[in-house]
Amino acid sequence: MSVDIDFLRPAMLALMPLAVLPLIARATEAGGYPDVGWLPADPLGRGIGLALRAMAALAIAALVIALAAPGRPRTVELRTGRGAEVLLLIDRSRSMDERMLPNDWRRLGPFEIRHQTRSRGRVKSQAARELLGEFVARRPDDRFAVSFFSASTLHVVPFTDHDEVVQAGIAAGGVHRGLSETDVGRALVSSLARFEKRAYTGSRIILLVSDGGARLDRDTQMAIRAGFERQRVTLYWIYLKGFGRPDLEQAGEASAAIPEVALHRFFQTLPTPYRAYQAESPEDLAAAVADVGREQNHPLDFEERIPRSDHSRRFVAAALLLVASLLVARRWELRGTS
Amino acid sequence: MKASGDFHYRIGSRIGGWRPGAHAGLARGAGDDFVVHASLFERPDPRRVDLRASLRDPRGDWLVRVARQRSQVAVAAAVDVSASMNFGTPARKLDLAADFVAALGRASFAAGDPLSLCAFDRCCHDDLRTPPTRQPGLAELFASRLRSTPCRSSGHDGLIDALMPLAGRQALVFLVSDFHGYGSDLDAALDLLVRARVTPIVVWSPDEIEPPDQDGLLRLRDLESGRLRDLWLRPRLRSRWRAAVAERRRTLQARFLARGIRPFFLTAPFDGDALTRHFLEGE
Repeated sequence: MSVDIDFLRPAMLALMPLAVLPLIARATEAGGYPDVGWLPADPLGRGIGLALRAMAALAIAALVIALAAPGRPRTVELRTGRGAEVLLLIDRSRSMDERMLPNDWRRLGPFEIRHQTRSRGRVKSQAARELLGEFVARRPDDRFAVSFFSASTLHVVPFTDHDEVVQAGIAAGGVHRGLSETDVGRALVSSLARFEKRAYTGSRIILLVSDGGARLDRDTQMAIRAGFERQRVTLYWIYLKGFGRPDLEQAGEASAAIPEVALHRFFQTLPTPYRAYQAESPEDLAAAVADVGREQNHPLDFEERIPRSDHSRRFVAAALLLVASLLVARRWELRGTS
Repeated sequence: MKASGDFHYRIGSRIGGWRPGAHAGLARGAGDDFVVHASLFERPDPRRVDLRASLRDPRGDWLVRVARQRSQVAVAAAVDVSASMNFGTPARKLDLAADFVAALGRASFAAGDPLSLCAFDRCCHDDLRTPPTRQPGLAELFASRLRSTPCRSSGHDGLIDALMPLAGRQALVFLVSDFHGYGSDLDAALDLLVRARVTPIVVWSPDEIEPPDQDGLLRLRDLESGRLRDLWLRPRLRSRWRAAVAERRRTLQARFLARGIRPFFLTAPFDGDALTRHFLEGE
């Protein structure tokens, strides 16, 4: 890859003839002498003088090259990975800062449990972030994108297979507290738009991690349905069910008034595969994440853009080194006799 | 003792020419230099009748002493003002040459000889030239103009032109130069001066013949050709430098000696006594 080099400012290379200056300069700082043919020949001095002049020429050449900013050009590489394109759509609302049920919640009495859930157990968003981090780490072949949403959607990381970026994006969700709103509809619409204009190279997944639902109006429902159909995206909803929150599978016409249930029912009408996981404790959440990991495992072709890497710093460093050694060499240079 | 700025020259051989002067001449006239007795009828000069010789004369003629008069000699100096004469600190070699010219002016005024001066580098400088003159101030003026000459052009092709007015004449000629890079043109110039007594004044600066004391890289540029020479000064190179100078001095001396000429090596400061000694030793 290091073979092809391009220059950001190739016009600067026109200054390259300046590098010849030290080699042809005559009226330099050299002292005058009536007749140098008279002096004894000195191969050592001649060699040293030539070397110094060559170093000066190289220093100028290095500076010129550095000004022209050489570098490896930006390239696009075709890579093949296994797995899916996964968009992690994480709820960043304030309810996510609440705690999940502790491990032993089934043994707690009905009076204790209300207080216990306030004080024990892990914070939902933190548990979700940790598990998703592990999920990303376990699936190196997948390409991930990360988005957070509350009132509107924050696209944190575009699709990439660089895990450290994804991990950093997930970790960024832990900064400060969440906001009050939860607009799942807008989040889904804008997330679906992120699959727009991308080659379909493998299965596509939106992993929605949320603890609340929302009633969607008809326009939003239509937009979402059309988006899922066009982009062929599988939806997984990991529903972080807090204590006392509604169950998604509640039957009955009346329960359609509950936002979570309404959302679940709407998702079930989508033309693409949909699966919901209700996670009450961290263990449930881990099981859900593992389940998703098992299901999606297909080969995936994608293009990776490798950004331009600039080499001009090395040339500046080389020029600096040469100039410094020339300055040091001046210490041994005698002043001309006239 | 401080070196004297004045010197006296003398010329080894007898000078032709009728103008009275300070040097031994060939012309007969009023002088101490007895040549021959002549009959009073041949030279009717009763002031110089030699009674003792007349009495001894078998023919009984009145004899008159005939003597040679002392004559003047034309003195000329041609000064090299090429770029290499610009060398030397604080006094340039050309400043040394100017010291010499000023001293020559005083010496020729003392001897009563006419002095002509000229300067040359690539060509003969018409603006730096004085015709033969006995006027005392002109040499000083010439010297001061030499001191302000910038010395830019290289070469010494003007030497022949400068010496042309002296060609074949009996004169005392000073060639003031550092004699760097003179080839066959020097022989051609000396051929012009066959009848003159030539004294080359070889002006070498002390900086030129003695290497610097410190060790290190010395970068030198030829003042005339512009060539560069880098030297890593060290004791061994220093001795080679001195050997090269001595060698140069020897070859220059041998070259002049082939024509019976002894060069005078002038270094700072100008020492008139040494030059006087040079003339006294010269016979």
